[in-house]
Amino acid sequence: MGCQNMTGFVDLYSEGGTFLHRIDARVKIVAVLFLSVLAFLLSNVYSLTLLLAFIFILLFLARASLSRTWFALRFVIRFMVLIVVLWPIFDPSGTPVWATFGPVKITEPAVWRGVTSAVRVGCLACVWYILMFTTSQRDLVRALVKMGLRFDFGLALAISLRFLPTFSATIDSIKDAERARGMELDKGSLLKRSRNYVAILVPTIVSALRSADTLSLALHSRAYGARADRTYLREPKMRRQDAAALSVVIALLVVPVFFKFVLGVPL
Amino acid sequence: MIPCPTADEGPIAAMRNVDFSYDDGTEALHSVTLDVWRGEHIALVGGNGSGKTTIAKLLNGLLRPSRGHVLVKGNDAAKESVAALSRTVGYAFQNPDHQLFCSTVAEEVLFGPKNLGFADAKAVEKADRALSLMSIGHLKDKAPLSLSLGDRRRVSVASVIAMDPEVLVLDEPSTGLDAGEAAELMRALDGLNQEGKTIILITHEMRLVAEHSERVLVMAHGHVVLDCRTRVAFSEPEALHESGLIPPAAIQLAHRLSDFGVSPEVLTVDELAEEVAKVWGARI
Ligand SMILES: Nc1ncnc2c1ncn2[C@@H]1O[C@H](COP(=O)(O)OP(=O)(O)OP(=O)(O)O)[C@@H](O)[C@H]1O
Ligand SMILES: [Mg+2]
Repeated sequence: MGCQNMTGFVDLYSEGGTFLHRIDARVKIVAVLFLSVLAFLLSNVYSLTLLLAFIFILLFLARASLSRTWFALRFVIRFMVLIVVLWPIFDPSGTPVWATFGPVKITEPAVWRGVTSAVRVGCLACVWYILMFTTSQRDLVRALVKMGLRFDFGLALAISLRFLPTFSATIDSIKDAERARGMELDKGSLLKRSRNYVAILVPTIVSALRSADTLSLALHSRAYGARADRTYLREPKMRRQDAAALSVVIALLVVPVFFKFVLGVPL
Repeated sequence: MIPCPTADEGPIAAMRNVDFSYDDGTEALHSVTLDVWRGEHIALVGGNGSGKTTIAKLLNGLLRPSRGHVLVKGNDAAKESVAALSRTVGYAFQNPDHQLFCSTVAEEVLFGPKNLGFADAKAVEKADRALSLMSIGHLKDKAPLSLSLGDRRRVSVASVIAMDPEVLVLDEPSTGLDAGEAAELMRALDGLNQEGKTIILITHEMRLVAEHSERVLVMAHGHVVLDCRTRVAFSEPEALHESGLIPPAAIQLAHRLSDFGVSPEVLTVDELAEEVAKVWGARI
């Protein structure tokens, strides 16, 4: 049960044939970086909302399923609500003052700053979500290696991603083993319960280290590291539509930067 | 031990029309109904993926039925935690590496009895008995996961025996043991059965079934397809063949020799030898 959820949690990728799925992963990585930079550069709540709307259109074009999106982003939404609520409480600057509760002063600009930050967080989360959900982990790692990441780091990254579900399955099986031998995991005082969870964590880490050991044997026994230069079965190639997408992405960053910093438009 | 179901005592564990599906939708069991009586020595057999492990996990609450009921000592298991059920139904996992998590064998075997609330002296006594039953007393201070597969398997079985449950469910306990070790393990289980423990042995080794179990439950594709005395099960090898099970050599040979007057109802090599000697003696 837990295992399934965890698997969904660690690998957001869902197969699909949309334009956003097919586009070169390197372009997508650049796009995500650019859009993230843009989200930080924009400080006007309207332009940020426009950016969020644009990202929602992308989500729609990628045919993101509503339930999966909700599942992946529900923590982000809670976080956004928290920002809107807490920002004005801790930021008393500016006028007009809307309300005063003892030492706490709620001002209009502070509320807007809270909303702006929340929208920014939403933009960032959605942009990265689109990348994870339209790109398989394998393509992602391959793109990073093509972009200059050392191959062994890429492999390490791929393996860690691959082992996350295994790791959570290990946690489940250790829990089962302990419950089957009379351990009440969720009973007792808070202290006792946290001790119970340490009793799960330690064997899980030991088991992870053991499997890392086995894994390195398995890699070496299949001639990993025998040659410094490797060949690849599939070489990612930039196609015409990838180049087109890349220029759109560049424009997306350059145009607002030009307006904001050269022309002084308050974006 | 031959079970003696009495009117006032129902089955010690039972399943009633149990369906079970895993989260990914795999339907592992279809309407499984079975009774386990106190003191029985049952073999649960069937091809890979037929649902044996699923049944074992349902009996001790690690899995909960999608439909139907699991009864332990007459009570609905749905109302009880795994920890509470483990007092009655002990389960030795199919993969010992999924079961072992302590840093020494002694701790591993003590873990269960301590959780069940036995006083220290009593818990140590139970643990020591389990260790000696599995002849692994000398491994007490070793790290469980550093042992050989055979020893890991025995630690995992010992850790369940130490909890002294009335029903012992052992998921392929002889896998990875050499013939001598397997025979020793089976002797230990038979001893516990003599003392009144109920044994449910999941295994692919038909020879162990023929020699040790008095009742066989055959699974195929999530259904119980045969539930009868061992002797009866092996006297009709067709039903077994359909489930992908092949009787041990002694029984096959007895069937081949039945035309010559050898009884096909033998189970062990000793019984076959006796039968053959009888027929042979009559001939001379
Ligand atoms: N965690 C799981 N998630 C999804 N499906 C599972 C899971 N565990 C088992 N199954 C499936 O349920 C069915 C029954 O599995 P089960 O483990 O009970 O079989 P088994 O009889 O113990 O087999 P084996 O002899 O290989 O141990 C199989 O089809 C199996 O693939
Ligand atoms: Mg199994």
